[in-house]
Amino acid sequence: MTGFLRLMRAEWTKLRSVRSTVVCLVFAVGLVALTAAIGGSGSTTDANSSGPPHADSVQFAFQSLDGDGSITARLVSQQETGPDAKAGLLLRTAVEQNSPYAAIMVTAGYGVRWQGNFAPDVAGTVGKAPRWLRLTRSGGTVTGFESPDGKAWAQVGSVTLPDAPRAVAVGMFVASPPTGLKNVRRGPGATESGPDWTVSTAVFDSVAVVTATGAPVDGAWQNIDTSGPLPELPDTEITGSFTRDGDRFTLTGAGNLGLLPYGYGADSDVVRDSFSGIYLSAIAIAVLSVLFITSEFSRGVIRITFAINPRRGRVLAAKAAVLGLVAFVTGVFSAVVAFLISQPLLRDNGFRPPAYPDYSLTDWVVVRAVLGTGLILALFALFALAMGTLLRRGAGAITLAIGVLVFPFIIGAFLSLEAESWLRRLTPMAGLAVQQTMRRLDDVITPGPGLAVLASYVVVALGLAYWQLRRRDP
Amino acid sequence: MVMLLALRTEWTKFRTVRSSGWLLVGVAGLTVSLSTLTCLSFRVDSCLPEPGTTCDVDTTRLALIGVYLGQVAAVILGVLVAGSEYATAMMHASLTAVPRRAAVFVAKAWVVLIPVLAAGLPGVYGALLAAQAIQPGNGFTTANGYARLSLTDPLTVRAGFGTVLYLGLVALLGLGIAMAVRSTVTAISTVLTLLFGFPFLAMLVSEPRWKEWLTEYSPMSAGLAVQATRGLDTLPVGPWQGLGVLAAYAGAALLMGGAAFKLRDA
Repeated sequence: MTGFLRLMRAEWTKLRSVRSTVVCLVFAVGLVALTAAIGGSGSTTDANSSGPPHADSVQFAFQSLDGDGSITARLVSQQETGPDAKAGLLLRTAVEQNSPYAAIMVTAGYGVRWQGNFAPDVAGTVGKAPRWLRLTRSGGTVTGFESPDGKAWAQVGSVTLPDAPRAVAVGMFVASPPTGLKNVRRGPGATESGPDWTVSTAVFDSVAVVTATGAPVDGAWQNIDTSGPLPELPDTEITGSFTRDGDRFTLTGAGNLGLLPYGYGADSDVVRDSFSGIYLSAIAIAVLSVLFITSEFSRGVIRITFAINPRRGRVLAAKAAVLGLVAFVTGVFSAVVAFLISQPLLRDNGFRPPAYPDYSLTDWVVVRAVLGTGLILALFALFALAMGTLLRRGAGAITLAIGVLVFPFIIGAFLSLEAESWLRRLTPMAGLAVQQTMRRLDDVITPGPGLAVLASYVVVALGLAYWQLRRRDP
Repeated sequence: MVMLLALRTEWTKFRTVRSSGWLLVGVAGLTVSLSTLTCLSFRVDSCLPEPGTTCDVDTTRLALIGVYLGQVAAVILGVLVAGSEYATAMMHASLTAVPRRAAVFVAKAWVVLIPVLAAGLPGVYGALLAAQAIQPGNGFTTANGYARLSLTDPLTVRAGFGTVLYLGLVALLGLGIAMAVRSTVTAISTVLTLLFGFPFLAMLVSEPRWKEWLTEYSPMSAGLAVQATRGLDTLPVGPWQGLGVLAAYAGAALLMGGAAFKLRDA
């Protein structure tokens, strides 16, 4: 072991005593910092300008309730298009989008929920349809109840709506959020993303709207999509529907209701984006790694190295260990610098709570992304070292090492979307998934498997390099 | 006379290295291949217009997309003409034979430029011919509002010749940088970063003003504006001005490389 440590020390001396090493490392950190500064100052958002991110796009079948009263209904069935599919009772001060509202609903994945006017959900029981639901209104206060049998009622939540008029709209609603992103090509290399809507059907019966004294209200039922028709890519629209067959009310529709969690849809992963400069610094690291081995070949130093240490595999291992460590430390350092530069800039440009999280360097996802950035650079350095060992010529090795990084990017934009997503899963760029700090609907691979893909390229490349190094004369 | 001698020695060095031939084949071959593949995969309905608009695909630009890859071979060629002499200390012998450094430098530039232009011409016109044959079959017909790609149309001629010039200019950019940094590895990575780095940064920012700025001053994005045949009034930088931006980069690199060559020991 001490022998190997001595070997590592020798390689470290060779690496640090070359001026180009320092230049490359300065560039590696500098390019990440520069990219973070440009990305941070050049990106703005107005996500917070209309309050916290929320949705109000439901199919609503309603009638008017004048004064105090209540609505009761049994949700007979709900088509489970995703965990966030919603169906239930809704009371709104007006039918216009984003009017104050209260709602009691059954969700496909999280049981009964109560929403009081864009406040966070309140959970009821973990029941599914069939389920009895009720909303009562007394002045400006609306209360939601649920029941398994229509006899024993339990209160779930209550809210006081601002400026509630005498006449409000009460009725049933259905909503079904997108479960993914739909991408279309608008031209070569131009992709547009939009929600991939699902449409859910809900059936209600035993619907009863009554006044405070218990007198039935039997107004005319109307229906509306509260946001209007929902646009869907490429150029279609989704409209909900409402049919009544005696006591049986059937609603279909897409959409969503209530506060949206951060990252819903296609928001930016602000932390990952601030580390984008890693692509450019990987080029600087590749130069360093390729030169680390090819300069020994071109100047014949490799013969001296092998004369001192005839075990070539150990020499390669020592080079890999030194280089990997240097690249890892560089990656972690540049990620920390990029984070500290970009986050204040982005916060000033609108990327702040509640629409965007306020991450600090100690949050686990950030720690993972920072350490992951180091790992990516280390693996990439080893890949470039393997290319240099295999080809022994700087020009070819650097072209291959950079090509592996840049080529999938260029080609991907001109392929079909399906082919592009496979390219992002199977080429070394899959390793960049470790920088994700949130789950976006358009991510094609998760951090662990992504890093494994990159690592397997490195293992194969180093294996080939080892085989060639033993086989060929230096 | 010295100039002729320098040209002859540089040309002999160039043509007797095996990599030169392969790289020239690469310039033409990669351009044609990527263009052909893209034209084959891109159908008229691959582009979905926004509601109420038409797609208006620039079919000439689409046909010349292969230059994204072909330029890499041109850059390497430009770099190797200078850089490989430093790697093997051949430069000492070169300067002993022809001590006039300015002549050596100018000769190198010609030896890079002419073969790259000569390889770029078949590459570009091969790509255009392939596109001419493929595109109508993919729905780019007059019925769909796309005129057949014509090699004599003035805009296409500008795009074609402009692209050939583009290839020559990036090769000269490679030569200049290689003369300045004297290392093939550093030069190739510097030029590729210059070319691909700007469009990459433009992807990262959301402000249109920044995007435009990063396109106007990018050697690749600005240089390839010369390929545009549609939507000319919406380009951030005009076709010839764009190529001029790239020429400015190449000129600056050559000046830097020339000065370094003149002033430093070999």
